[in-house]
Amino acid sequence: MATPGGPRPGSTPPNYNPSNVADGMQNLQINRPVGPPTSMANSGSFRPPPPFGQPPPPFSSSAPSSSSFPRASAMARPGPPPPGSGGPPQATFPPNLASNRPSGPPPGTQPPPPFGARPPPPGSVPSSVSSFGARPPSPGLNPFGSSPLASGPVGPPSSTSEPVSNGPPAYGWGAMQGGPRFPSAGSPLTPPVRPSPPTTLSARAPPPAPSMGSLLGSPPTGAPPGPMQAAPFSAPPHGVPPPSGSSPFSAPPQGVPPPSGSSPFAAPPQGMPPTSGSSPLAPPPQGFSPPSGSPYGHQAWAMHPPQVAPPPLMPGSVQAPRMFGMPPQPPNQAMATISPAMGPMGSSMAVPSKIDPNQIPRPMPSSSVILHETRQGNQANLPPPSTSDYIVKDTGNSSPRFLRCTINQIPCTVDLLTTSGMQLALMVQPLALPHPSEEPIQVVDFGESGPVRCSRCKGYINPFMKFIDQGRRFICNLCGFTDETPRDYQCNLGPDGRRRDADERPELCRGTVEFIATREYMVRDPMPAVFFFLIDVSMNAIQTGATAAACSAINQVISDLPEGPRTMVGIATFDSTIHFYNLKRALQQLQEIGSPGSCYLPLMLIVPDVQDVYTPLQTDVIVQLSECRQHLELLLENIPTMFHDNRTADSAFGAAVKAAFLAMKSTGGKLIVFQSGKFELFKILILPSVGIAALSAREAEGRTNISAGEKEAHKLLQPADKTFKTMAVELAEYQVCVDVFITTQTYVDVASISVIPRTTGGQVYYYYPFSAVSDSAKLYNDLRWNVTRPQGFEAVMRVRCSQGIQVQEYFGNFCKRIPTDVDLPAIDCDKTLMVTLKHDDKLPDGAECAFQCALLYTTIYGQRRIRVSTLSLPCTSVLSNLFRSADLDTHFACFLKQAAIEIPSSPLSLVREQVLNLCINILHSYRKFCATVSSSGQLVLPEALKLLPLYTLGLVKSTGLRTDGRIDDRSFWINYVSSLSTPSAIPLVYPRMMAIHDLDSKEVDGSRIPPAIPLSSEHVCDDGIYLLENGEDCLIYIGNSVDPNSTRQLLGISSDDEIPTQFLLQQYDNPLSKKLNDVVNEIRRQRCSYLRLKLCKKGDSSGMLFFSYMVEDKTPSGLSYVEFLVHVHRQIQNKMP
Amino acid sequence: MAEFLDLEAQDAVRMSWNVVPGTKQDSSHCGVVPIAAVYTPLKPFPSMPVLPYAALRCRNCRSVLNPFSVVDFVAKLWICPFCLQRNHFPTHYHSISDQNLPAELFPQYTTIEYESPSEKSTVPPVFFLVVDTCLIEEELGFLRSAVSQAVGLVPENSLVGLITFGTYVYVHELGFGQIPKVYVFRGSKEVTKDQVIEQMGFFAKRPKPASGVIAGVRDGLSQETIARFLLPASECEFAINSILEELQKDPWPVPPDQRATRCTGMALSVAAHLLGTCVPGSGARIIGFVGGPTTDGPGAIVSKNLSEPVRSHKDLDKDSAPYFHKAVKFYEGLAKQLVHQGHVLDIFACALDQVGVAEIKVAVERTGGLVVLSESFGHSVFKDSLKRVFQSGDYDLDLSSNGIFEVNCSKDIRVQGIIGPCASLEKKGPLCSETVVGQGSTSAWKMCGLDKATSLCLVFEIVKKEIPEAIGQSANNQFYFQFLTYYQHHSGQMRLRVTTLSRRWVAGPGSIQDLIAGFDQEAAAAVMARLVSFKMETEAEFDPIRWLDKSLIHLCTRFGDYQKDSPSSFSLSPRFSIFPQFMFHLRRSQFVQVFNNSPDETAYFRMILNRENVANSVVMIQPSLISYSFHSSPEPALLDVAAIAADRILLLDSYFTIVVFHGSTIAQWRKAGYHNQPEHVVFAQFLQAPQDDANAIIKERFPVPRLVICDQHGSQARFLLAKLNPSATYNSDVPAPEREILFTDDVSFEVFLDHLQRLAVQ
Repeated sequence: MATPGGPRPGSTPPNYNPSNVADGMQNLQINRPVGPPTSMANSGSFRPPPPFGQPPPPFSSSAPSSSSFPRASAMARPGPPPPGSGGPPQATFPPNLASNRPSGPPPGTQPPPPFGARPPPPGSVPSSVSSFGARPPSPGLNPFGSSPLASGPVGPPSSTSEPVSNGPPAYGWGAMQGGPRFPSAGSPLTPPVRPSPPTTLSARAPPPAPSMGSLLGSPPTGAPPGPMQAAPFSAPPHGVPPPSGSSPFSAPPQGVPPPSGSSPFAAPPQGMPPTSGSSPLAPPPQGFSPPSGSPYGHQAWAMHPPQVAPPPLMPGSVQAPRMFGMPPQPPNQAMATISPAMGPMGSSMAVPSKIDPNQIPRPMPSSSVILHETRQGNQANLPPPSTSDYIVKDTGNSSPRFLRCTINQIPCTVDLLTTSGMQLALMVQPLALPHPSEEPIQVVDFGESGPVRCSRCKGYINPFMKFIDQGRRFICNLCGFTDETPRDYQCNLGPDGRRRDADERPELCRGTVEFIATREYMVRDPMPAVFFFLIDVSMNAIQTGATAAACSAINQVISDLPEGPRTMVGIATFDSTIHFYNLKRALQQLQEIGSPGSCYLPLMLIVPDVQDVYTPLQTDVIVQLSECRQHLELLLENIPTMFHDNRTADSAFGAAVKAAFLAMKSTGGKLIVFQSGKFELFKILILPSVGIAALSAREAEGRTNISAGEKEAHKLLQPADKTFKTMAVELAEYQVCVDVFITTQTYVDVASISVIPRTTGGQVYYYYPFSAVSDSAKLYNDLRWNVTRPQGFEAVMRVRCSQGIQVQEYFGNFCKRIPTDVDLPAIDCDKTLMVTLKHDDKLPDGAECAFQCALLYTTIYGQRRIRVSTLSLPCTSVLSNLFRSADLDTHFACFLKQAAIEIPSSPLSLVREQVLNLCINILHSYRKFCATVSSSGQLVLPEALKLLPLYTLGLVKSTGLRTDGRIDDRSFWINYVSSLSTPSAIPLVYPRMMAIHDLDSKEVDGSRIPPAIPLSSEHVCDDGIYLLENGEDCLIYIGNSVDPNSTRQLLGISSDDEIPTQFLLQQYDNPLSKKLNDVVNEIRRQRCSYLRLKLCKKGDSSGMLFFSYMVEDKTPSGLSYVEFLVHVHRQIQNKMP
Repeated sequence: MAEFLDLEAQDAVRMSWNVVPGTKQDSSHCGVVPIAAVYTPLKPFPSMPVLPYAALRCRNCRSVLNPFSVVDFVAKLWICPFCLQRNHFPTHYHSISDQNLPAELFPQYTTIEYESPSEKSTVPPVFFLVVDTCLIEEELGFLRSAVSQAVGLVPENSLVGLITFGTYVYVHELGFGQIPKVYVFRGSKEVTKDQVIEQMGFFAKRPKPASGVIAGVRDGLSQETIARFLLPASECEFAINSILEELQKDPWPVPPDQRATRCTGMALSVAAHLLGTCVPGSGARIIGFVGGPTTDGPGAIVSKNLSEPVRSHKDLDKDSAPYFHKAVKFYEGLAKQLVHQGHVLDIFACALDQVGVAEIKVAVERTGGLVVLSESFGHSVFKDSLKRVFQSGDYDLDLSSNGIFEVNCSKDIRVQGIIGPCASLEKKGPLCSETVVGQGSTSAWKMCGLDKATSLCLVFEIVKKEIPEAIGQSANNQFYFQFLTYYQHHSGQMRLRVTTLSRRWVAGPGSIQDLIAGFDQEAAAAVMARLVSFKMETEAEFDPIRWLDKSLIHLCTRFGDYQKDSPSSFSLSPRFSIFPQFMFHLRRSQFVQVFNNSPDETAYFRMILNRENVANSVVMIQPSLISYSFHSSPEPALLDVAAIAADRILLLDSYFTIVVFHGSTIAQWRKAGYHNQPEHVVFAQFLQAPQDDANAIIKERFPVPRLVICDQHGSQARFLLAKLNPSATYNSDVPAPEREILFTDDVSFEVFLDHLQRLAVQ
C-alpha cells in the first residue's frame, strides 16, 4: 500500500521529465512531496516528517532542474537563432530560423526584454546557457526555497486536514519509498538511464554557460561530457539536500540504486545499466506487469511505483492511500496503485477517501536535457517523452521529432494489437524544428539520376536497405524486393555486411536525410514564395480594430519575408465586395509622377460581384516584394483609415477567398485571410436561396449555441454545406494554402470556415472575443511565425511501411486526391499528421518493421527537396513488450485526434464514451494479461501509460468534449487538434499552472519558469496569483485576497475591481514584473506561441473559465481525478472475468 | 425649289408634298412617295423670339395657340384649328386685341419658343466616357490624347465619369479620397441595375428606398455618393488625366489566333446603370470609344476565334450571323433603358475591322446619339469630330437633351411614324395610323439627345375617304400640323419649340397640277432614301431596286406628260425633273448597294442619313461635284465621268467623303512644285481654292467628313469614280482617247432614263 505513494512520485517524474512538460511536472512534484507527507500523516502517525521533508526537497530540486530544462527546450524551438546552432540544424531553413522565433515579443507591444534578451545573446543558446549558469548554483537553494513555499502552503495543509483515514503503515512505507523514489524519479533518474549521465549532466551543466553553448553547437557528443560532470554536481546537490529523502534523489540522478525505494529502483537501475536498456527492462515489467517505460522507462519504472501512490485528492476525502500504493513492490511493473479498494470502490465515495490525491500519477517534469540516440547497438532506442527537452543524435532511425509511433515495438499480429487495446499509429511531423544542438539534416544530391529507390515500391534508399551480393544488389526493407544497385552507386561490403561507405553516406546511416529532387519530381518549375494577404474591412472589423491590427501585423511581418525575386506578395481587402490593389501601378506612379500631392497609393480594384468572382487583373496584383515594399507599407498604413467609416456589415469571406485564389492560381502560395465580421455563405453559392435559408437558421443556432434538435448538435460542427469543401479542394489543387485569422466577437461558423485551411494545409487562428488591446501582439506574433517558420510549398507526402503493415489512413490538414498520397499545398514545422496503420499480414518475430515518410516539397528558396525519414522498429509477439514500449504522448495524441475526428459526426456523449473506452481497454488488457496483482482492489497501470487516465480525464473535460462550450470554440478546438503536434497535445488537455505571486522569492537560481502546480483548485489559494497556459491561451488568475502590492507590481493593477477584461502584459519597473515577463516569454518560446493573455478573478465568468481548466476538480459534468481513477478501476473490474 | 427653301427657312420643315392630296384615294395616286415632312426641331432661327412664359394650350387637344388660330378679340376666345375647340384666354391675355397681339399670334412666327424660367434642370450636362483598352499601343496613345483633350474642352461645371474596359469593365471612382479606386465588373456576365446599386454600395450609408427605385437624388441617393463617379470637369480633370496617362493596354493575354476579349456591351450597360442610378432624367451622354469588335458578354458580335470572320451583309441576309440577333436584342434593351432614363449613347468607333455598330445602331438611334466611324483614333475624322462635340463657338452642335416631340394635326391626317433619331413614347391616340413606319403608333416621341441638325422624318397618311362636293369652295381646305418639341436647352433651361404649319389640300381629278406644284423632289428623295433604308432593315426579302423602280415608274406614269406608248413623248414637269436622277443615284448609293460595305458602315451611313436634313441627305444620295478650271469660276458639274478633265480640279462632296481630284495635268504641275514658285501664284491659288471650299464644308459638318486629295489615275481617285455616272465605260461604243472611262457594268443614267421612259408610258 504504502508503496504506492512512494512509487508514484518517483515514477512520474521520470516519465515526464524528459518532456517539456517538465515544468508542469515540477509543480506536480512539488506537490507530491507534499502529498506524501500527507499520506504519511494519514497513514501513520502524522508524520514521518522526514520523508516529507525530504521528499519535498527532492522535488523542489528536481523542479529547478526541470525549470532549467524548459529553457533548453525553449531554446530548441523558437530557436532564437542561436547563430551557430540554429543555422546548422536545418540546412534548408537557416535563414528562417534565425528570424523565426515566434515568441518574439511584438516590437511595440511587448516589453523588449524578452526579445531583447534573446537576441543579444546571439544564439538563444547563449542566453539560455547563461541562465543555466545562473541556476546551477542556485538549484540547491531554489529547490529548497521553492519547495517549501509550494509545498508548505499547499500540500501540508491539505494533507493535514485530510489525514483522516489512513493508511496503515503501508502507507507510510509507501510514502517513504515513494519519497525516495520520487526523488530518484525526479528527472534525474531518467536521464541517468542511458544517456542519462549526459542528459542529467547537461541539465546541470548549464552552469558553464559558455561550454553549454559550445556543447550545443557541437552535437551531443560534445555536450554530454559537459553535462556529465556538471550533472553529477548538480545532481548531488539536489539530492543531497534532502539527505534522507535525498537518497532517493541521489539515486535517481546517478542512476544508483536508491535507498529504501531502492529495491524498486534497483530494478530500474538495472534497467538503466543495460544500455540496450529497453530489452532488459522489458522483461521485468512483464513479470510485474508494471511496465514499462522502457526508455526512460527504466527510470520510469522506478518512478512508476511512485506514481501509483498518488491518490486521494478528492474533496475532503479521506485518504485511502493505499489504493494506489499497492504495487510498489513490483517496482518494475508498474504502478498502478489505485487499488485500495476495489471493494470500496464499489462505493466510489468511500474509495476516494482512501486515495491520497498527492500520490496519484501526475506528470513530472524532467529537469535535464536528454541526449537521445535513435539507435544503439543496432536496436531502436525508445524515444524520450515528446514534451521533454532532448537532443537527438540520428544514428539510423529518424528523430522522434519527425516520426513517432504509438508503440515502439510493432506487434507481430493484429490479434496481439487488438488484445492490447492499443492504437498503432504514427505521428508525422516532417518539418519539425530540431533542437538547436542537433546536427542539421544532411542534404544528399544524387545528381541527374535522383535518389536511389526501390524499383517496386519506390521506397527511398535508407540505412535499413540490405546490400548483398558484394553490393551489387540490395533488398528493400519496405517491400522485400531485391533491386539492382545502380552502377555508380555500388560499393563493396565490409565484413559486417554493411557497405564500406555506409558511414560516409548520410542516406545509409541517418534516419532522416533530404534529397535534392530532380526534374522528374517537378510538374513545373518550383513555385515562388507567394504570400497573399486578405483583410476583412467590414464595419465590424474596422470598429473592433481588427483591421488595424491585421494591417499593422502584416506591415511588420513584411520585413521578415525573405528578400529576393522569389518572394511575391499580394494584398486584397474585402467587405461585401472585394478590393484588390495594383501594386505595380503604385510603383510606376511613384516614379513617374512623384510630385507632391499626387497619390502614391496603389490603385484599388473593386470586384463588386461576389456571387461570381474573378480577379480583376492578371498581373500586378501579385508582385515581387522587392518591387513594392514601400508601397505596400504605405497601403497597409492607410487601409484602416481608408475604410474607417465603412458601414458595410457583411463580409464576403468565401467570395474573397475565391477571388484571391483566382489571382494566385497560376503560382499557388499562401493565402492569409483575416476574417472578422459575420461572413455570408450565400455569397458564393450558386443557388443563393438555398444558402440564405440554410445559413440563417444555422446562424441562429450557432449564436444561441443550441441546435434545433439537441441531438443534432454536432451538425453545427460540420461545415454548412459542400461549397467550401469543393472550393478547398480546388485551392489545394492549385497549391494554395489558406490560413485564416478569425478576429471576431460573434459567432462566425468556424466549422464552415475551417474546412478551407484544413484541406489546404493551413491553419485557423481564433481570437475570440477579439480585443485590439490585448490581441494585437499575439496576432502579430502568430502571423510572423506563420510566415517565417520553416515551411515548404506544393508538397506531397507518402508513408510507406514494411510488408505486413500498411497505412490505413492519414489525418491532418491536407488534401487527399489519391489514396496513397497526401497533398500539402503548404507544410510547416508545426504541422503534424497522424497516420494510422493496419496489419495486412503477420510480421516475423524478431525482425524489424520500417516506416518511411517521404515528403516532396519546395523550399521557400525554390529548391525542390525530398525529405525522407525512416524509422525501423522491432517486431514483437510479447504483449508486455507493447506496454513497455508504448509511447504515452503519442498514444494520447492519437486519442485526442481520433476524438476530434469523431466530434462533428457523433453526439458528444458517445465520443466521450469512446475515449474512455480506449483508455479502459488498454488498462484492462494490461491488468488482465500483464499485471501481477495481489489484490483485485488495486488499480494497476502500465508504467509507460500511467498518465493515460489523467490525460483522458483532461480530454473529456476539454473544450472539445464539454457540452457547455460555444460551438465556435469547439470547432476551433477540433481544427486546432487536427494538426497538433505530439508535444503540444499534452498541455492542451493538461495545462501548466504555476504560482507567480511569489516569483521573486522563489527564483534565486535564475530558473525562469516556476514549478508547475497540479490542476486542482485545492492548489489555488485566495492570496495567490496563478498563471495557467496550454500553449494557446494563458490565464492569469488573481485570488480574492491577494496582496494589492503584488498585483500592482505584476500587472499594474491596484485593486481587483480594476481588473480589466482586456489585458496587456507590460513590464513595470520592479523585479516581480520583470520576472513575470521573463516567465511568460520563456513559455512563449517553448510553445512557439505567443499566448492569449487574459486576467481572471474569482466570481465572474473569467474565474469560471480559469477553474474550468482545473482538470482534477470535480465539476458538475465531470469526475474528479480520484473519482475518475476509481471509475476506471471499476470499469476494469467489471470487465475482468 | 426656292419657295421650299423659304418655307424651310421659316419653319425648318420640308415636305415631300406641299400641296396635300386631300383624300386617301388621291394620296394613293401619289405613288409610293408618301406625304412626309422632314423637320429639324432645333434648327436655329436668329430672329425667332423666345417667349418667357408658358404656352397656352387648347384645353381639348393640348395644341398650342398659334397664328392659325381664329381669335375673337371681343370675347377673348380663340378657336383651335385642330379640333375647333373654343378656348377662353386666361386673364393675363386680357389686354389682347388686334393691335396688341402676343408674339405667338404673329403670322410670321409660326415657329416660336417658350422658355419657362422656373423649369431649369439642376444637374449640369453629364458626360460618361467609356473607353476601350484592347488597342495596340499606338491607337491607345491616340485615344488617350483625344479623350484627354476632350475632357479639357468640357464645360467646367459638366459632370464627367469614366469607364475603361477590355476583358473587364473598370469603373473609375474619380472622387476618391485617399486611394484611387476602380470597380471591376466581369465582362462576360450581364448585371442588372439593382446589382450595380447594391454592389457599388450606393445605398450603403442610408436605407435603400423600398421599391421602385430609379435612384438619383430624389430617391435618396446622396450627392456625395454620386460624386464618387461623376464629378465636375474642373474637379476631376487631373484625376482623369492621370488615369489616362497610366491607361494600359488590357493586360489579359491574347493568343495569336484570337481576338482580344472586349466587352463593349457590358461596359455600355454598366455606364447606363450608373447614369440611371445617379442622374436619371437629366441630360447625360454615354460616349463610347470602341476600337474593335465586341467579343465577350452581352452584345458580342463575333467569337474570339480569329478564324471566324465578323458577319457580312451576306451573312445577315442568309441569317448566318449567329451573334447578330442576340446582340441587337441586347442593345434594344439598352436603348429602352436609356430612353427611360433620358440618356444618350454616342459611339466613336475606330477600327479597321468592324466593331459592331450595326448592332449598337438601335441604341444610338433611339437615344439620338452621335456616331462616328473611322479607321483609327489617329484619324482626323475621329479627332475633329470629337472636338466638335465639346467645342463651343460657331460650329458647336448645340447639344440639347431630354427632348420630347409631339405632333398635332388635323383630324383627317394620321401619323404613321417617324424615321429618325427618336424613340416612341407609346402615346397612342386617334392620330396614330395603323400602318407603322419607323417609330410609330404614338403621337409623342422621346429624343434623349438632339442637336441643331437633328432632323426627323414624319410620315403621314390621309384618311379622309369621301370627296366632299365643291372642294375648291370649301373655306377650310387647309391641313394643319403642329410640332411641339420640349427639350432641355444646353443652358439647362427647359424650352418648348412650337412649329405650326398649314398646307392646302386638294382632291379630285383636277388636282394633279396642284400636286405637281407642291412636290418637293429633294425632300421626296430624302424621304425615299430613309424609307428604303428602313424597309431594307425591317422587311425580309425586300428588293429595294425593284421597289424604287416601281415607285419611280408609277410616279412618272402619274405625273409625267406623255402620250401612251410613246417613250419619246415623255416629259416631266420641272418639279419632278431631277427626281429620276436622285432615284438613279439612290439605287447606286451606299444606302441601297450595301454589298460594297460592311454592315457597320451601312448602319453608320443610315444613322447619319436618318438624322440629317434634306439638303445633306441629297448630298449623300447624289454627291455634288464642283469643277475648277483656269478658265472660269468654279461651277457645278454633272456627276458624270465626263466631268473629268486633265486641266481641271474637281471637288466632290459625297457628305462622308470630300474628294479633291486633280486632273492629270494639274497633278503633274503640282508634282513639279510649280505652286511653290512665286511666278505661279495663280496656280497656287487655283490649287488652294477647292481645298478652301472643302475645309469650309468640313468645318460645318458633323461627323467631320473624310478629306481625300487625289490625282487622276491615282488609287485614291476611286472615291470619286465610284460616285460618277458611268456614262463611259470600258464597253462604251466610242471611247474618246483622253476621256476617262469607268470599269463597271452598271448602267449609265442615260440607259436608266430610257428604260424609265419606256416603262412609264406603257
